[in-house]
Amino acid sequence: MARNEKQWNAHPDPSRIEWADSRIYSDEEIFEEELEKIWKKVWIPVCHESELAEPYDFRTMTIAREPIIVCRDTDDKIRAFLNVCPHRANLIERRPSGSFKDGTPSGNPKNMTCMFHAWQFDMKGRCVHISRAEEGYQDRLSPKDVGLRRLRCEVAFGGMVWVTLNDHIEHSVKDWVGSALDCILEPLEMEPLEIFHYHKSIIPSNYKLWHDTNSEFYHDFVHYHNRVTGFNDAYFARKNMTFDNGHVVVGSFEVQYDQYEGFESREALSFPTLPPNNWYMIDIFPGINYNLRGSALRVDLMTPLSANEVMIEFRGLGLKSDSEEDRLTRIRHHNTIWGPMGRNLHEDLLSITGQGVTMRPGTEPRHILHGRHENETIHDEIGMRHYYDTWAEWMGRPLHNPTNRPPVAAAE
Amino acid sequence: MGKANHRAAIEAVKDTVYRTCLLMDDERWSDWLELCDEGFYYKITAYSPEIRRDMLYLDGDRDQIAQMCELLPKHNTDRSPLKRHAVVYTVDVEDNGKAAQAVTSFVIYQNMLDGVNSHIDAGENHLFAVGRYLDSFEIADDSARFLTREVRLETRRLDKGTHWPL
Repeated sequence: MARNEKQWNAHPDPSRIEWADSRIYSDEEIFEEELEKIWKKVWIPVCHESELAEPYDFRTMTIAREPIIVCRDTDDKIRAFLNVCPHRANLIERRPSGSFKDGTPSGNPKNMTCMFHAWQFDMKGRCVHISRAEEGYQDRLSPKDVGLRRLRCEVAFGGMVWVTLNDHIEHSVKDWVGSALDCILEPLEMEPLEIFHYHKSIIPSNYKLWHDTNSEFYHDFVHYHNRVTGFNDAYFARKNMTFDNGHVVVGSFEVQYDQYEGFESREALSFPTLPPNNWYMIDIFPGINYNLRGSALRVDLMTPLSANEVMIEFRGLGLKSDSEEDRLTRIRHHNTIWGPMGRNLHEDLLSITGQGVTMRPGTEPRHILHGRHENETIHDEIGMRHYYDTWAEWMGRPLHNPTNRPPVAAAE
Repeated sequence: MGKANHRAAIEAVKDTVYRTCLLMDDERWSDWLELCDEGFYYKITAYSPEIRRDMLYLDGDRDQIAQMCELLPKHNTDRSPLKRHAVVYTVDVEDNGKAAQAVTSFVIYQNMLDGVNSHIDAGENHLFAVGRYLDSFEIADDSARFLTREVRLETRRLDKGTHWPL
């Protein structure tokens, strides 16, 4: 039976079915608070170490609108800094990646140079040159006073480069992730990995909706590929597991790739120690996803841009030791499902785009059901519930009335 | 090869490239593949300055692409049609007149239908992708058949958009 306005707005009984108020996805004030309370406080992976393989290589990115640069020093250590000149706050490096081995029009080789006034910095973030320093600053300003803002940075879990804006973070990356990645730790760390794929999407939707999609597999009904290669007893027995700090693991099973016409088994190239054709999905709070499908690793990194816009960067990784032939096969396996024209990725992006339409800022609050209980197996929404329990703790906001504005009246 | 034959070969290549654009715009995939040799190989590639690597986004031989196109109607997809605007920049015909290579610059527009909020967006055009077709052909009987096509994309931001060949 279709419902009238009062019935539509009536809150479901949370003792019977869990739900969240959709303003967690659409409210601009909540979004700004998330950047401050969560994204600026936790560890965020920003790239893979193979993207800056040589000394003086760098990558740039942003976390919570703060421009960041990571670079590899001659001691092989990767360091992170705010990509902001201490002089007049210009962006120091504008390119997405490159090497400082070569000079730039305003600067010397082996230094980062702010082109605006040619201040230069080394790979440790020390200021090594102020143009016409004595003439302008006499003895009032020394290079040691104007080093870059260094950020805590660790390389962990398959060579991802993790950065935090929070100098006072209590955890190391390993403590923060805990045992959530244990299920794929051997395959990830048995030997070095290397990136082979990158593309990005900017979707008019809230970032948490992408994480939700990665946290629940009930949405496999959108994927023809997953229905024909899964949806067997082993698939439905696949367990969701929750971990401290809001992380979730969707357990593995053997995917029947040969059930999809034209696809082949991934067995010959499965990651080291990974059982053939197995598929693990790990969701790290607040928006990171490791997805290991037999022969290829996909890592999604999200950059929330507004309450209704998110950039998702898709990376594909294989083994650094791959032969040319094996690498090509791995890339093909990756692309057929997760490439820009892959069978699944487009469908997932379409799904959260639709959610983004109905939950744009200013739309009416809606009840978003998180209430599937299926013995914590694959179509159980325990992953989302666990994420939002953690989110509510960080935000100090209740899921049923997150804006602290008067709730819609319940139906009689 | 005489000048007239050379000119005819160039025109044959251009005709095949432009005809292919129209067929793909109309999603007539099997008709497009009819213009391709049995040994045809198709790939979509891009260079990423982010990771400083050449990348392969999609590839397949004629049978694999045909199989993919047959299966795609079983998938959920954005129904917004793509429209190609192409200009053949160069055609190099081999001395024996039996083969040619062409470089075609293209932009692809997405004519919005249902991908976002159709009430607002349907009918609007978005620039979807920019790149070049790097094609090779077999020339015979004044017609050109594809041996290979590389779709070399400059675009690396690919939002929800397509399952289909570009």
